[in-house]
Amino acid sequence: MRNWLPVLLLIALLCGLCAAMPVLEPLFRGLQPDKARVIYQRESLFFLLGHHLMLVAVSAAVATLVAVAAGIFATRPSGRDFLPLVSQVASIGQTFPPVAVLALAVPVLGFGEAPILFALMLYGLLPILRNTLAGLEGLDPTVREAALGMGMSPWQVLCQVELPLAGRVILAGIRTSVTINIATAAIGSTIGARTLGDPVIAGLVNGNTAYVLQGAILIGLLALAADSLFEALERAWGAGVAIANK
Amino acid sequence: MPVTRSLPDPRAPNRVVPVLAGLALVLVWSLDFGRIQPNRIVPGTGHGLVSALGWGGAALISLALGGSLLLSILPVRRRYPCLLVLITVLLAALPQLLVVFAARQLPEGAPYARTVIGAGFWCLLFLLSLMVVEVLGRLRARYGVPLLLLALIAASWLVLLRGDGLDSLSLLREYQAQPGKFEQALWTHLALAFGAVAISAVLAFALALRMIRSPGWQRPILGAVSFLQTIPSLAVFGLLIAPLGALASAFPVLQALGVRGIGWAPALLALVAYSLLPMVRNTFVALTDIPEHLTDAARGMGMTERQVFFQLKLPLAMPVIIEGLRITTIQAIGLTAVAALIGAGGFGDFIFQGLGQAAMDLVLLGALPTIALALLADALLTMLAASLRPTPARA
Repeated sequence: MRNWLPVLLLIALLCGLCAAMPVLEPLFRGLQPDKARVIYQRESLFFLLGHHLMLVAVSAAVATLVAVAAGIFATRPSGRDFLPLVSQVASIGQTFPPVAVLALAVPVLGFGEAPILFALMLYGLLPILRNTLAGLEGLDPTVREAALGMGMSPWQVLCQVELPLAGRVILAGIRTSVTINIATAAIGSTIGARTLGDPVIAGLVNGNTAYVLQGAILIGLLALAADSLFEALERAWGAGVAIANK
Repeated sequence: MPVTRSLPDPRAPNRVVPVLAGLALVLVWSLDFGRIQPNRIVPGTGHGLVSALGWGGAALISLALGGSLLLSILPVRRRYPCLLVLITVLLAALPQLLVVFAARQLPEGAPYARTVIGAGFWCLLFLLSLMVVEVLGRLRARYGVPLLLLALIAASWLVLLRGDGLDSLSLLREYQAQPGKFEQALWTHLALAFGAVAISAVLAFALALRMIRSPGWQRPILGAVSFLQTIPSLAVFGLLIAPLGALASAFPVLQALGVRGIGWAPALLALVAYSLLPMVRNTFVALTDIPEHLTDAARGMGMTERQVFFQLKLPLAMPVIIEGLRITTIQAIGLTAVAALIGAGGFGDFIFQGLGQAAMDLVLLGALPTIALALLADALLTMLAASLRPTPARA
């Protein structure tokens, strides 16, 4: 339970701020006395938060599925020929700046949700793929041989030995991917996604620092909440493996 | 005893190149190779492979792709060198295809008409690059060969881009529309990114030394820098506006220096903050991971602590420190593009202006150089790290 406390606190803070932003009006008024409006009200902050989360969650889910499948394929005997290329692509691809990937998606797919979702998936794939490969390749070959020698089928070896052992590394990849995607989705509001980046961009365009601050605080809290969630998950996973090994 | 994986027989057929070449063939025939736009905003008409290059050009590309497909499965002796030459020539000649396209399809007497690179061309470029990566991997090429190839391809592209045939290319139109802007953006981008990396390298080194001297600092410092890394860039830029604005209005000296809530000052601060985690972590790990017996041996040889540090620890730690520098530099180049949102300039300016005006070529003019810069920094620093890796002395 102690693992999950920071997550719950951060989520409560995030939701509380989304709901109670108008209460803080005097505070923001002091920061930006010359504007008629100091609280972002073009869209409910809950709506933006939900949309932001949806974009990140969908892209993370798809990216995880595709990346783990590709990682498993490239480490099987039938796909081993593709391993050098796949691992090269995973590492070279990560040198592409996420903003540039986001920007490139627009000429191809147009403005709106689709290009953002596509860019987030594509970019989110790479850290997960890299970690899946590292996790599966980093296993001691004798473990696999021992499992095969015990009479397990290759499928059983994969599901009961390799994936559980590589799971922690894969989870770390998903964490990196989600952290990057929360940041990239926020920038996505420049190409027409409705995310928590909206107040920041609107504030920058209109010179309204209060808007910028509201958006920035919420984005920061969202990122921290997601990160502490993964921290707790990794601990739980570690504890689970430790129990299973006993 | 390390387990060595059985290496594939070099004469065995390759299964990766045929897949890539086949995919390239399908895509290049099914997607638009390029578009002709009457002006900057109107989408214009697309042209497939045959319409863009004529039957001759289409046949030539198909032959080259089919050839590389066959080369990779037929029992040829020098498979990979041949493939490498073929693919490199194709890559180097790619802009020539655009010249042919412009010459064939660009209407006469339409000064605003421009040629736009289509999805087919991009796919061809992407898949050919993957093929090069695969072939180089099979050849186990050292750093000289890829560098030579890169120089060859870049030189050929530059020559073709400088020629007259590509004047109508939309990217070049955007480049010429604002003379001097591109160079200015390049320098701003480089100054911000490398300035931040340099500052954070010095800071990180100091922090790492502090952490080594007093282990009590390890948790707080690592905690603080990884906390900074978690906060999304847009939020950090946003959060810095108010305090820096307040500072600038409180101290006119700062204002005279150009420090304001927006502009280069918050951008640089945020970039430095982001760069700290990879630098601190790698420097710390590199300097502490040195095997005990080596330092013992050095001390036993009568080295002073200072000598141990400069002649043993630092050289051994260098590759890992450079790796941190590489991650930091790539990240800083990307984040500098985001910093354009708070008025810091650089290539991000083109990206966000282009997005605002729905001018996709302007977006590309910002995005492509940003990617190129990141790839270049990656290549150079990887090579540097590899060349600094200490090699065991031969007996």
